[in-house]
Formats: sequence, structure tokens, C-alpha cells
Amino acid sequence: MVELEAESADDLPALCEKLLANPLIEDFEIETIE
Amino acid sequence: VIWGVVQFPGSCDERDALAAAGRTGEARLLWHGDGELGDVDGVIVPGGFSYGDYLRAGAIARFSPLMEAVSEFAGRGGPVLGICNGFQVLCEAGLLPGALLVNEGVRFVCRQVELVVESNRSPFAAELQQGERLSIPVKHGEGRYFAPDDLLDELEALGQVALRYAPGQNPNGSVRDIAAVTNEAGNVFGLMPHPEHAVDGLTGSTDGLKLFEGAAKAMA
Repeated sequence: MVELEAESADDLPALCEKLLANPLIEDFEIETIE
Repeated sequence: VIWGVVQFPGSCDERDALAAAGRTGEARLLWHGDGELGDVDGVIVPGGFSYGDYLRAGAIARFSPLMEAVSEFAGRGGPVLGICNGFQVLCEAGLLPGALLVNEGVRFVCRQVELVVESNRSPFAAELQQGERLSIPVKHGEGRYFAPDDLLDELEALGQVALRYAPGQNPNGSVRDIAAVTNEAGNVFGLMPHPEHAVDGLTGSTDGLKLFEGAAKAMA
């Protein structure tokens, strides 16, 4: 699990797809905590 | 023939790769932060722990400026060899199919293994005979090759599985005993064993040198 502080969650899907997850072997879910 | 050997922060096998490639031509280091390859004829992405491999092996290195140039070079048909961490980087960069997972035994393995040549259509395998056995060392913690079954079927049908671990020799649980794969064109070649550590009889085997010689002849 990766915890990030961010101004907006809008960029997180692209971040996960490009960097945090290799779609061949990994999946990801984004949970936003206000 | 001029080889370029990529060096990332955390690379550790670039010197051996230079020495091995240097037996077949000139070999020079290429710094990861540079955006150009220069006039090299072939590229080696060596082993190690690029950028620490903290996130996932090869996941950060694929974004280095030099990897953009390597991708363009590969796209033009330039020969690119990825060894161990270099194999992981090339998979992460999408230049090779599949991915490398943590070893099945969840332990780092370091040993000599026997390999069987499955396909010699790549320039890197041009000096190898189909069915030939090679003795080359492995040393890795994340070398378990994985791809979905439909992709594996496709790779095998197209001759993109270049090397397999010999029966009983698979050190990491790789699917279908796969040790090396190529891209569809064959100019990009990745493997977990270290051919650069098997180029001098004093260290037990010279089988690894055949990969460098094959590509060097093609480049010449």
C-alpha cells in the first residue's frame, strides 16, 4: 500500500498506470481520505 | 563494432559487460542521464539494481532519459541486450514481453545453470544451435519470468523464446522454464542469466561470449 498526500486525486490513476503498477502482474485501487 | 553499456545509479555489472562486449569490439559506458546513444552499433542494459529497485525492479529506470534513446534505437532495429536487471528494465519499458517476479523460493539465487537454446532467430543467438546447452551463472532475487498463457503461446509460436532452463535447472520458477525472450523482430534480447560472467575459461565457462559474438557479427 502506498499513502500519498496530494492536492487532488485526479492525477492518481495516471500515476498508478505509469509508475506504481505493472498491469501485467499488478492491479491497483485508489482510496481517497479527506 | 561499438557497444554502448548503459549505467544507471545502482548498476553493478556494467564493468563485466564492458569487458565481455570489449572482446568483440569497442565498448563504452553510457550514462543514464544522457539523452543520446552516440554512434554505438549495439546497446547492453546490464545487471544490478537500477535506482535501487525499491518500487519494482526496472520500474524507475525505464523513465531515464537514455531509455528513450534506447527505445528509438530498438525501434530502428538496433540490437539491444538486457541482462538480469536490464531484462527487467526492458520488460518494464515495453521493449520485451512479460514481467519478472520475485523468485518462487523467495530467496536470492546465485549459481551456475544449464540452459537449452530454443530459438536462434535473434542476432544474439545466431552463433547458437537449436538444442545446444549452455552453462551460464544466474544471480537474482526477482527472476521468475511471467506472462499470461495466451501470450506465452504466441511467443513460442513466433520463436521469441530464445533460451530455457534445462530440465531440473529452473532456479526461480519461471513459467515454462523460460530464461530468455526476444521482441518480435528479434533485435531486443533479454535474459536473467549473466552471459558477461561466462566469457573466460578461468571462471568456468565461455558460453556467454557466444551471445556477444553473434550480435557483433550481425552488426559488422
